Amino acid sequence: MIEVSRPGAEDSSWERFEALYISARDDVYAYVASLLRDRASAEDVTALAFERAYRRRRTFDRRRGEERAWLFGIARNAALDELRRRKRLAAFGDADLEAERTEEVADVALARTMVRGAVAALSARERELIALKFYAGLSNAELARVLGVSESNAGTILHRTIDKLRKACNATV
Amino acid sequence: MRRSDEFPLDPDVAASLAAVDATLRGDLVDPEHAELAELTVLLAADRPRIDPEFATKLDGQVRRRFATSRHRPSRERGRLWALSGVATAAAAGLATLLVLEGSSSAPVSRTGAEPVPLTAGPAKSATVSSARTPAPSNAAPSNAAPSNAVPPAGSVVPQPPLGGHRIVQTAQLALTTPPAQMEDVAQQVFTVVGADGGSVTSSTVTATGGPDSYAQFELSVPSANLADAMMRLSRLRGASVASRTDTTQDVNGQYLSLSRRVGEAQALRTALLRQLANATTAAQISSLNAQIRDADATISRYQAAVNSLNHQIDYTPISLTIDSGRVPVAGRGFTLGRASHDAGRVLTVAAGVALIALAALVPVALLVVLCWWIFVALRRRRREQALDLA
Repeated sequence: MIEVSRPGAEDSSWERFEALYISARDDVYAYVASLLRDRASAEDVTALAFERAYRRRRTFDRRRGEERAWLFGIARNAALDELRRRKRLAAFGDADLEAERTEEVADVALARTMVRGAVAALSARERELIALKFYAGLSNAELARVLGVSESNAGTILHRTIDKLRKACNATV
Repeated sequence: MRRSDEFPLDPDVAASLAAVDATLRGDLVDPEHAELAELTVLLAADRPRIDPEFATKLDGQVRRRFATSRHRPSRERGRLWALSGVATAAAAGLATLLVLEGSSSAPVSRTGAEPVPLTAGPAKSATVSSARTPAPSNAAPSNAAPSNAVPPAGSVVPQPPLGGHRIVQTAQLALTTPPAQMEDVAQQVFTVVGADGGSVTSSTVTATGGPDSYAQFELSVPSANLADAMMRLSRLRGASVASRTDTTQDVNGQYLSLSRRVGEAQALRTALLRQLANATTAAQISSLNAQIRDADATISRYQAAVNSLNHQIDYTPISLTIDSGRVPVAGRGFTLGRASHDAGRVLTVAAGVALIALAALVPVALLVVLCWWIFVALRRRRREQALDLA
């Protein structure tokens, strides 16, 4: 956890941003890295997303949603801009991130490999949904806000994606 | 607010999603969702981990509040502020120009157009083109040179120095009066002209009581009384001077030439009479009589011209027009009435400028909003396409 200097009687917007950064840093990185599948780009985009959020922190309107959903919306736009710029998206299971996996018990490793394969077979939108839910830990309401759909719609799409994932895993077994 | 695509979730779907959320929170779930919980755990455990070195670096950037970032929004904001300042200054300058222009074109603001107390102040022109040109009171008048420099209404008209010179003068005077007082003011004109020994050559008075009320006079007053007549006409009760022009023309050369020709013709006639007295033949007498008749005609013609010129010198024509209009606030200097009048004008002009600016800016703003909306929509579409292509 970082220790952020407090410059006197700074406005409360900075304190709110600080709290948001502390709670969401790893989640934003996980989501962005899942979209980009490239560590260097994920780090750049994560930093850019937090900087943009910091610059726009006073424009945040609580009536339009929670700060977390607002932050992930910024991160999503930054990641998609990066995708547009690069015109590519590495395949899920990129060696760059694969190297991070640690040695595991064989059956756990087998199950994880199976799940990774099933996730890799999903479409990009479905993979994004998985990343927002399981890597970033967004609630269904936040997820709906980031994707710009209703909460019930987001829940239905999520359930359909999980079901697809389950079937793919069972088929592998 | 409820979204249009919102609908109640199927209970089974809601239960599954609740089991996922419970698992992510670390809570136990119903055995029927055990498989889903296991999948959730596997997925959550497989999330990309942030590199500690990058995390430390990012923490440092946040601690410094992105001070070393390559992005400099504050500088952009500064440029925006500078541009806004320039635009505001330009708008203010334009407004000032319009206000000044509006004031200068307002007849009520001209000093020559106001009823001024009888003072012999510096001569001022009542027209913009000859604004505030002092009258050459001590200079010799030049031929056909309109002085066009008139004193304030009511002051003494500058008289060209005579010094043996013959001068023909003309004057034009424009007055304004409230429509209801047109008749009264017109009547005062007759009175003033009569008192100064002049006459009204022609007159047209249209007194409708409305803004189209109008009067026009062609006057003739003794030149000796011109100054007095102009002063009194400029001070008619209920009227104010809109403009005033005096013209002088030195006709001394013309007068002397005509007089000389009269003298020459008379001398010729005298000589012819002498020759006639000594004539002996009928042919000589007949020829001399014919020459004497010609000389008489010439004398008569030149004498008539001299007489006409004398009349022009002795009587000055005045062209007087009276328009119906608002009489300006009387007096000079600061008064509450003048101040409120000026304030009203400034506010009116400012409102006009604001309205014009609004009329120009609204379409531009709409165009900018439309372009921005299209840009945002296209950007969103391209972003989604980037995800679809991934």
